[in-house]
Amino acid sequence: MAKEFKLPELGENITEADVLTVLIKSGDTIEKDQTVIEIETDKATIEVPSTIDGVIKEVLVKAGKKINVGAVLFTVESTPSTENSPKTSISVPNVSKESKQGGSSISPAITVPSKGSAKVLSQEGSPSELHIVDFKLPELGENIESADVLTVLVKIGEMITKDQGVIEIETDKATIEVPSTVEGKVVEINIKPGDKAKVGSVILKVESLISNVKKESVLSKLPDETPLPFKPVGGSSAGEKKMEPGEIDDQPPILKHSAPAAPSVRRIARELGVDISKVPGSGPVGRISMDDVKTYVKKLNENREAFPPGGLGISREPLPDFTRFGSIERKPMSKIRTITAEHLSYAWNSIPHVSQFDKADITDFEKFRKSYGAKIEKAGGKLTVTSILLKVIAFGLKKFPQFNSSIDIAKKEIIYKNYFNIGVAVDTDHGLIVPVIKNVDMKNLTEISVELNSLAEKARTRKISLDEMQGGCFTITNLGGIGGTYFTPIVNAPEVAILGVSRGTYEPFYSDGIFKPRNMLPLSLSYDHRIIDGADGARFLKWVCETLQDPFKLFVD
Amino acid sequence: MDKIKIAVIGGGPGGYAAAFLAADLGMDVTLIDKEKNPGGVCLYRGCIPSKALLHVAKLINEAKEASDWGIEFGKPKINLERLRAWKNEVVSKMTGGLGILSKQRKINFIQGTASFINSFTLKIGLISGETNELKFDKIIIAIGSVISTIPSLNIDSRRLLNSTSALDLPEIPKSLLVVGGGYIGLELGSVYNALGTKVSVVEMTPGLLPGADRDLVTYLSKRIEKSFDKVMLNSKVVSMKDSADVITIKIQAKDGTISESNYDYVLMSIGRRPETKGLGLENTKVKINQKGWVEVNKQLQTDDPVIYAIGDIAGEPMLAHKASHEGRTAVEHIAGHKVAFEPLAIPAVVFTDPEIAWAGLTETRAKEKNINYVSAKFPWAASGRATTLGRGDGVTKLLIEPETERILGIGICGPGAGELIAEGVLAIEMGTNASDLKLTIHPHPTLSETIMEAAEVFFGQSTHVYRPKR
Repeated sequence: MAKEFKLPELGENITEADVLTVLIKSGDTIEKDQTVIEIETDKATIEVPSTIDGVIKEVLVKAGKKINVGAVLFTVESTPSTENSPKTSISVPNVSKESKQGGSSISPAITVPSKGSAKVLSQEGSPSELHIVDFKLPELGENIESADVLTVLVKIGEMITKDQGVIEIETDKATIEVPSTVEGKVVEINIKPGDKAKVGSVILKVESLISNVKKESVLSKLPDETPLPFKPVGGSSAGEKKMEPGEIDDQPPILKHSAPAAPSVRRIARELGVDISKVPGSGPVGRISMDDVKTYVKKLNENREAFPPGGLGISREPLPDFTRFGSIERKPMSKIRTITAEHLSYAWNSIPHVSQFDKADITDFEKFRKSYGAKIEKAGGKLTVTSILLKVIAFGLKKFPQFNSSIDIAKKEIIYKNYFNIGVAVDTDHGLIVPVIKNVDMKNLTEISVELNSLAEKARTRKISLDEMQGGCFTITNLGGIGGTYFTPIVNAPEVAILGVSRGTYEPFYSDGIFKPRNMLPLSLSYDHRIIDGADGARFLKWVCETLQDPFKLFVD
Repeated sequence: MDKIKIAVIGGGPGGYAAAFLAADLGMDVTLIDKEKNPGGVCLYRGCIPSKALLHVAKLINEAKEASDWGIEFGKPKINLERLRAWKNEVVSKMTGGLGILSKQRKINFIQGTASFINSFTLKIGLISGETNELKFDKIIIAIGSVISTIPSLNIDSRRLLNSTSALDLPEIPKSLLVVGGGYIGLELGSVYNALGTKVSVVEMTPGLLPGADRDLVTYLSKRIEKSFDKVMLNSKVVSMKDSADVITIKIQAKDGTISESNYDYVLMSIGRRPETKGLGLENTKVKINQKGWVEVNKQLQTDDPVIYAIGDIAGEPMLAHKASHEGRTAVEHIAGHKVAFEPLAIPAVVFTDPEIAWAGLTETRAKEKNINYVSAKFPWAASGRATTLGRGDGVTKLLIEPETERILGIGICGPGAGELIAEGVLAIEMGTNASDLKLTIHPHPTLSETIMEAAEVFFGQSTHVYRPKR
């Protein structure tokens, strides 16, 4: 018996799409979730995964054609086990009359006509026939495979309606109330609080007239960042990716996705660190002008500056007339100084700071640094205390995830980051700049040292881009070059901790009955007490010190 | 800060463009090439000498065609020695000029070869036989490509020419077989054809100029079929033998039948390929892909961050203007600018008669990749200027994205197509739409009007083409 696969719902208000590529042909064996066609809507290029498996009998779409949501894309000879089972739930949202042409083995329970018509069509049997329909745990977001069940909100025998919340679950990322996509009487509940439910597993069975498995309605309840269950292909088209040097093709791929902007405009955007494809174009064809790029950059800057000046509800005290005490000179604050002032006021006012001090024995560590310094210098970097600390902190953030988080007070949520980007405060002639080294955990010391060197240089020569200063998880500020023992750095919000480094000095260290000279490095950790408890702060800093003393510790725990 | 010390290996249009810009940006530049002056294959053995000869070929053909307009010049007398000398003068004028430009920029030009000892160090072999070692901060590989050969057909005969020896014009042969119907073979074949040689072409694929849109190639095919002796498609050479006065060739047609024939000369023009042997890349972190090209990122940087590669050695298309642009991009990146090699279109020109040129999206590719487009064509038969030239055998075609009217590609066939294509490239790079081209006044009577009128065709409003309403 043949089964049909139809173009599923693609999102709100999208009723049709252009077929870019058909990735299957008749005779192919396909599996569930295998990408079968690539389509393009007004909004994105989307790879559509199959929800059925089997051997393809007939392909009914062609590349270059427009297709409507609900149209049959292909038919398959399905494997006998899933055939004709009334319990099979197929996530085909819209089954229209056309489905007849491909045979009638599609789950008879799915009988929802296309938009606008509320009449229940049934291909087999009368409209009043009852069917058991599965409700499965829908896609919850990227990389989420399962969730903990917190509460079951329905009981056996209860009539539920579409969009009614049926269970509450907790994933690594959020707590979510999962709305039903089916309606009818609950006849079976397969989970209970405390269970781990897998995405795609059957949670409920419902006796129903209608099964409307609309992914869209599920998704609309999920947090914003939840992606469609399709992989958007995004800015770089499939064609571009497939191009390899050496392929006999003498033209760069010019597709809808290449931003319509003159070469000079594209270059300026690159200089400013702006992704040209994100700049809204004001010209015909959405052409992007130089002004469009500048406006976009300005807006990005404004967003960064949108902190309440003067802090939270603290009124400004009027300044005295200094000229009464002597001569003065007024100079406008530089842009960087203004941003620094506003940003630090905000951080100081919004974060309850605690500072913790400790010192690390870096006697051995300094030997290592001296012996490998030359090698790294050759690669164009400098093996400094800061570059080694970057690596150590990256490990630390993995071990102490609360140090790699941010607080969303409005939503009462903690945002844990799965990436490890660390900023380093750089003192420049024109002010304090914090370049961010991305994905420190994936880089070796040479790479980190080289990158740190080049970013610091860029910061000093004012060549650094916005992009290179964004996305930090933690900040290191090293005043060791100047001196001093301890200080209380201010957390670089929305990060939750910052490590201050001072200059190491030889101190007598008492061990085995004698004093030995040890090089001790003073470290000052400030953290956000809303999310990090005092004990955790002390533990984190102690761990950093111990790791500097004995890096093998990293391999032990 | 000290000056950046940079070496460029290879003085072709990629290498010298890179070296000159590097000098202009204040770097300490060393340029290494085997020849006396910069220029590379393009100036010594490629674009420039072939264009000089094609200019002559055009003159001969036009003089012949003038008999239709009542002008008889008689049969041309060809002084081969003088023609060769003139071609060489063109080459030495251009390369000598580059030598002066290089000196003016205080570039350390070394005539010799270079290979990597490590990522920073080059072993330089001077023409005198001496070698020395030099250290650099950055090195750009711009060594170009070499002529491809088929080992089984690589016989030792003075009658077997390649693109280099063919430009030397050893004599005007009575007959010439061109192996490979690509642009090099067709250009050089056209030169010999105009000088009086009976030229035949053998091509493995079903059409001449594989890769180019068929509707552009038709006009050229028609003309070549008339002027050439034979055009053998879907055919390949299976054996080649030097039989003293001639070369004996066996050709296998698509149906498998093998025919034997004799030619005075044979020109092998099956393409060019990368060659990195002897460059010492194994002493660096540079990666080479399966096809032999050096792998680079959008900044033309290899996997070894101090080494860049540009031009032919960095991959298709192997075109001088692509190499120059890449060379300049690489140098700007070395100078600390945020740049990328990201053109939307790279023009390709075949200097045959008629010329064929294209840029951006081609119909062939659009179909392959299922890209939605509308093709708007203006036939040159409707162009006043083309008619005054006696050349209605051409077409100007725009590929347009239907929803946005954006120009995605352009293809032109006809005399002067190579000059006309630049407007199309600019249109694509600027994100121009069909209305922009339609509303830009083009001078009358010129061939450039065909671009404007092709845009008008898109709207069904071309002045000189009537299309009934759909």
